Amino acid sequence: MSKPVIGFAGMTHLGINSAAAAAGQGAETVCFDTDATVIAQLKSGKLSIVEPGLPELLEQNNSRITYTAESGDLKRCGVVYISADVPTDDQGQSDLSGIRSLIDTVAAGLGRAAILVILCQVPPGFTRSLSLPKERLYYQVETLIFGRAVERAMYPERFIVGCAEPGRSLPQALQDFLSVFGCSILPMRYESAELAKISINCCLVASVTVANTLAELSERIGADWSEIVPALKLDKRIGPQAYLSPGLGLAGGNLERDLATVLRFSEATGSEVGLIESFVKSSRHRRDWVLRTLHTEVLAANPQAVIGVLGLAYKENTHSTKNSPSLALIAQLKPWRLRVHDPVVQASAAGHPEAAGCVTALEAAQGVDVLVIMTPWPSFRDLKADQLARAMTGRTIIDPYRVLDGKAVVAAGLNYFTLGAPPFRTAGRGTHA
Amino acid sequence: MLDHLNVRPAKPTRVVIIGAGGFVGGAIRKQLDADGVTTLPLSRQELDLLADGSSAKLKGLLRATDSVVMVSAIAPAKTVSMLMQNLKMAETVCAALADREIAHLVYISSDAVYVDDANPVTERSACAPSTIHGMMHAARELMLKSSTEAPVAMLRPTLIYGAADPHNGYGPNRFRRQAAKGEPIAIFGEGEERRDHVLVDDVANITASVLAHRSAGALNVVTGVSTSFHDIAQIIAKQYGVQVASQPRPGPRAHLLHRFFDITDCHKAFPTFHYTPLAEGLERARTASS
Repeated sequence: MSKPVIGFAGMTHLGINSAAAAAGQGAETVCFDTDATVIAQLKSGKLSIVEPGLPELLEQNNSRITYTAESGDLKRCGVVYISADVPTDDQGQSDLSGIRSLIDTVAAGLGRAAILVILCQVPPGFTRSLSLPKERLYYQVETLIFGRAVERAMYPERFIVGCAEPGRSLPQALQDFLSVFGCSILPMRYESAELAKISINCCLVASVTVANTLAELSERIGADWSEIVPALKLDKRIGPQAYLSPGLGLAGGNLERDLATVLRFSEATGSEVGLIESFVKSSRHRRDWVLRTLHTEVLAANPQAVIGVLGLAYKENTHSTKNSPSLALIAQLKPWRLRVHDPVVQASAAGHPEAAGCVTALEAAQGVDVLVIMTPWPSFRDLKADQLARAMTGRTIIDPYRVLDGKAVVAAGLNYFTLGAPPFRTAGRGTHA
Repeated sequence: MLDHLNVRPAKPTRVVIIGAGGFVGGAIRKQLDADGVTTLPLSRQELDLLADGSSAKLKGLLRATDSVVMVSAIAPAKTVSMLMQNLKMAETVCAALADREIAHLVYISSDAVYVDDANPVTERSACAPSTIHGMMHAARELMLKSSTEAPVAMLRPTLIYGAADPHNGYGPNRFRRQAAKGEPIAIFGEGEERRDHVLVDDVANITASVLAHRSAGALNVVTGVSTSFHDIAQIIAKQYGVQVASQPRPGPRAHLLHRFFDITDCHKAFPTFHYTPLAEGLERARTASS
């Protein structure tokens, strides 16, 4: 029996990475998008996203990949994944109109036996609500992580597949394709699979919230959260991969979307969700850690301070700025002059009238009173504390993600503030170093 | 959180201050005068909110372009009778506002409206007062908000100190007066309770900014720094050269041991404003009262 052709509709971050992985596993792959410009870019080898290993994976498997803006080209596919983005508003509410439209377009041109799989993040009940033959309609949980998307797509931990009737075997084409990846396949009801995706994210948020809560306490009682984390990871009940790095609240949009979905379903069903509300509250509180530190440590005493900001993307190794803590911070710094640098994102994304874009991180530090490292790009780790001390006018570095070596920063004569540890000051109150 | 209807600050046409003769109202008036803002200060002499006909009198004074600051209160409200008197005063203002269009209303409320275990308190903390004083302010907030179509700002200051404070409650004001008389400053037990204390000048400053921005919503008027009564006593003792003496508590320890605030909303609403540090504020109060 020949291998099924696999289609992906929606050349999003999720769609491109998933398609590249399918091709990488040997499947003939059709990449479809309704936007001909997107397809033209992909054909020419230009990627609008940043993802380590993706250009290489696409190039290596180019012979197995067809890019097209014609939905009719999906007719030869045995399995077609819907991989569009589902946009959210400021409250994390999904706008499903785009994905519904795409499903209509794709379904109209499918082969008679083809399987349609919803790969996007949709609320429970969405898949069953579609007016499509249920024996050919599936939902599959995606666990994309920006910056690690290729690794996650090529080597998934398991496949979670939502079905109309989980007791029945998966269609041969879908079973054959998924089996190539060599991991467990977990069929379950549509609603269970849709909620499984949300459940995974809620567990991750729980870990992050624990880390953020106890990191803040560490800052205030003289503990260092980074010393505690290894002890937790060696506990088998917690595990080495646990999300225990403190951060500036939730960002990126997907986790926030799932929390909003749970809250909305709770409102409609009366289930108790105090815990989820606490996650949201904690995230909001931690997001403003840098703003509070800036005001307390610098701006209260120096109203004319010039602020250097390193990083605009919402996390390292991505171009995405959705819900970026850096942009959220910059929005609150309108009265001050800024010098900004990001290895990928243009300074214009800052949307600040007094933000000077800088080509290098060190250039952004030149003459500033305080330097804030808002995205932990690997290249920032190469910055030398003594170089920063010479470049800066002021003496304060705020480095929430601990990109720099705090002790080296203090040794260079600078004050250092990071998540999970008391302030490192060169002199004065509560010196940590 | 506050929303500024005036993105750029603009002088209000006129500010009517109800309660201008009091500690906080007087400071607000002084600040607005210094800013060159036209005011109509109303103390109890000009407008007794508990007197018959006061609602009609207030209505007659108000213009559609007025900003109104309601700061008048019998505080702290400790008894049911005081609660009802305060509500009656608010009812008078509400009746006037219901019949008169105004441009903006600012109510000086209190952090007592918040639930006791809200640490750190933010503007989104639950309003669930545990005291009559807190319930009084929570009720007045709702009464006033439902009586006008104008944008309304609720300012919720914490413990206010300053040279002209009339209450002499346990804390900076009483400590300063004890020290000024050369007496040891008396703290209860170890004085370990940590609270936030705000200088009355800062309350006035924030109020003026809220008026200039025609802001709507809620804002806590708090410094974000909580200090123990012991440490406050030590600062004042040093200023006056007196001792601090520990005394047994007159009763059980207060139900609220510590209270902390997260002032992120203030940083966002007024980025260039920063509160007077406690030691500096206490020194200002000492200078002003000497």
